[in-house]
Parts: sequence; structure tokens; C-alpha cells
Amino acid sequence: MITFPGPASALVVLPVAPDRDGIARVLSLERFARESLAGVRATIPAFNRLLVEGAPGRWDPEEIMSTLETGARAALRAPPKTQAVAATAMVTLPVCYDPDLAPDLEQVAVRAEMSPDDVARLHSAPTYLVLATGFAPGFAYLGDVDARIATRRRLSPRARVPRGAVGIADRRTGVYPAEGPGGWCLVGRVPAALFEDAAERIARFTPGGTVEFRPVGRKDYEAECR
Amino acid sequence: MDQRAYLWANRLLGNDPGAAALEVTLGGLTLRFAVETVFALTGADCAATLDGFATDAWRTVRARPGQVLRLAYSRTGMRAYLAFPGGLDTDRAFDSASSVARDGLPGRLGRPLLEDEALRWAAPDRVCPKRYVPPHLVPPPGAASGLTLPLITGYEWPEFSEADRGRVFAAEWTVDSASDRTAMRLNGPALASGPRALDSSPLVDGTVQVTGDSRPLVFMRDRPTIGGYPKLGGVDPIVLDALAQARPGTPVRFVPADLGTIRRAMARREAFFRVHWP
Repeated sequence: MITFPGPASALVVLPVAPDRDGIARVLSLERFARESLAGVRATIPAFNRLLVEGAPGRWDPEEIMSTLETGARAALRAPPKTQAVAATAMVTLPVCYDPDLAPDLEQVAVRAEMSPDDVARLHSAPTYLVLATGFAPGFAYLGDVDARIATRRRLSPRARVPRGAVGIADRRTGVYPAEGPGGWCLVGRVPAALFEDAAERIARFTPGGTVEFRPVGRKDYEAECR
Repeated sequence: MDQRAYLWANRLLGNDPGAAALEVTLGGLTLRFAVETVFALTGADCAATLDGFATDAWRTVRARPGQVLRLAYSRTGMRAYLAFPGGLDTDRAFDSASSVARDGLPGRLGRPLLEDEALRWAAPDRVCPKRYVPPHLVPPPGAASGLTLPLITGYEWPEFSEADRGRVFAAEWTVDSASDRTAMRLNGPALASGPRALDSSPLVDGTVQVTGDSRPLVFMRDRPTIGGYPKLGGVDPIVLDALAQARPGTPVRFVPADLGTIRRAMARREAFFRVHWP
């Protein structure tokens, strides 16, 4: 479905799940849109959606509509490509699953009927894909979390989640890039030092990039914090 | 926030339309010039004086070394713009000189000014001819009597109840004091019928989102890229300039808008100010 949320912008919502498959198809639509449309100023891919912003002086709604329809049909036909879409954007983050740093790990484990170690193992096993960036500058929604440890958001969000906290919500996971409010279940911690430089923190993740978590013990975590 | 006022300030000096200028929220700024130069002040009326004598806004003004420019607290509107020849000498991050204090970007001047801080700009001794904004193009001061926001309905609009959709256009909203550069929040009737549990959608300047308290907000220049609450559509981006000047309590109404009309007006403005994209 294609709508116009602003005078020179179009929003495509692909009729697919907002997961790895969804973002892979959205990114192929994004490439098509950037190649086929003149005067594109910005594109924002997120989950199963793509926003295209253009120049008001060069925006022909009918041309945009038909081009994006063609692109959307092609993106839906193509086989789902859920490997790394952007080979250049690979990030590996050290994460410590020590219960002191992971206040919700125990609860997630109880709900999943497994040990906290198993939760940590399942969380750090996949190569995640960046499904979207947003919420806060430098926050990436990563998917898909193993269905066995997928967990609902906390009923009451925390007012202060520390920088570097690793959360799970449904089948997504992410790292809080700065201290702030948050409702995801916290299962680990990445050294905050990796998120101190603002420009680096904001530019680290792009949709389609891949992220891996490398489990580290408390000592290595403390060392990386310094 | 008020792009029209900012674009005019740069245009008066012959600057690039994207040259860095000061945004002065609610006034209350005093500067002493160390060099002879020209400046242009636009936006909210801050009863500016140069060495104690009233100085006009919306025109080029010459300043001599030692002269003191004083902006009082604004009487109408929220934000004044002060531009200098060649633009302020700042760092840039992500193709922008705009300050985001939360992230300390873009480095130099990535935060509010400090007392006794020295400002530099690219071409202090550039010869700038006398210029002023034609009076009929100077926006009316403030919008205390009320503001009309043309709304292009979209996003989850059809999923709100008929009663709520009626309320959007019938109600008199007021600007809430919790508004900032990210969003202008509006007070008025609750719009509780929107869908729950949405995936976040990409936003544009002017997108109207109904948050958990069932009140709408209008996303402004420091907005995020995506938002996860139900959305009513988008406000005409040109009218965001007037909204940026609306003080808390200003009455606001939504009216249905036509996309094509707004797009043509935006195209005319960008051509007039020679707005270009990196």
C-alpha cells in the first residue's frame, strides 16, 4: 500500500511481516527507488515500510506511485534474502550476561523454562539484521530473536535504563545507546564506553547491516569499560 | 524551527541558504561586536537595540567594533534568528551545523552559547548592500489570536472513530507548554480510538501522532525518524514556521488540506530561497 504522508513524500507498506524477510524486501525496494526516481532526498527503511522523500519541485505523484508500485511488486516476488544485505555494515558487540548487569534475565529464563545461561546462549547465537533505526539516536531494532526467548515488554517501563543495556521485546533485541526511559526486558550489558562518542554511536547501525553479540565474562566487561 | 525567518536572515546577507545562524529562543541575548560587520535579525520580535537605540529587524544592519546588540525577552513569537556574513563558523556533523545539545553535536557550538563565548563568522568584512524584507512579506508578529493548521490526513486516520475524526477538525486545540524542537504538543479533547500496538512508521516534518495520553503532537525539526503511536496525517510543512513561533496557550485549529496546493507552494519557496540539498 502506498500513501503520501507529506506533500513530497511517499510511504510504502509491504504486505509482509515486519521481520528479517520484511526489511530485506524493503531494502531491495529502496535500491530500486533510488535508481529509478530523480531528486530523492532521503529514504527511511524500517521493518516492512519505506519512506521516500523528494524535492517538491520535481515530485510527480503519478510517476512516483507507478514506479513504487513496480518496485514493490518486484520486491515481493524476489526470494527473501535474509543474509547480510549490506556486507560493509557488520558490527560485533561484546555483551556481558552477568545477572548484576541483566536485571530481567532471570525472569525471561523463568518464562522460557530454561536457565539464564541458555537464554544468554540463545540470545548471542544468531547473526541479527538491523530491521530499523530510531526510538533514540543510535538505537537499532535487531531481529529475529529466537522464538523460545521472545518476551513481552515490561508492564511499566523503567524511567532510567543505563547506556549499553541490552533488551528484548517480542522477537526483537537492541542496545540502549544512551541513558533514558525504556520498557524492554534487560538481559545483558554492552560496555558503555562503546557508546560514548555521539557521531560514532549515531552512525553505527543502518537497516540491513548485521550485528553479532560476543559473550564476555564480568572481568572482560569491566576491562572494556575502562 | 522557523525556516522562513532563518532563510530570510541568510538571504538578506547574500549567504548560502544553509549557512549557520543563531536561533535565539525567547530572546534575552547580548552580544558585543569586536569587528565592523553587518548582521540580519529576523523572527520573533525581541525589541532589539544597538547601543541602546532601537534597531529594526528583517533588514541588514551595520555594527561597529564595541557596539552592543541586545535582544530583550520576546514580546510575540518564540524564536529570533541572527545571521552573519558567510555564516557562523561551526563544526558540522551528518551534513548539518544544527546544534543537538543532547548529543553534543556537531562539536563546536553543539550546545547553547556560554557567557563570554567568542563567535566567529566566515566573512565579517564582506560588503553587504542595504537590504530589507518587503513589508508585505514579513510574517505577522506572533499568532496569539490563533493558528490554522492545514492537515493532510493519512497513516492510521481511517482507523480512528468517526467521532474522533470529527473532533480533530471541530475542536479548538491549544499549544502545550511541554512543546520543544522535537514536537509541538496540543491540548484538547482525548482521541482515544486509535489502534494500539503498531510497528513504528517513518515520519516526515509535520506528522501528527496521537501519543499514549490520547493527545496529538506535531513533529518539528528535531523529530525522530520513526514513531510507533497512531498518526492522523501531516501538517503543511510551510505552516510549521508559524507553529514554531506559537507560544504555549496559542489556540490552534486543523482544516482539511490539499496535497497538490501545498506541494506547489513548497516548490515556489525552495526556488525563491534557492534551497539546495547536500
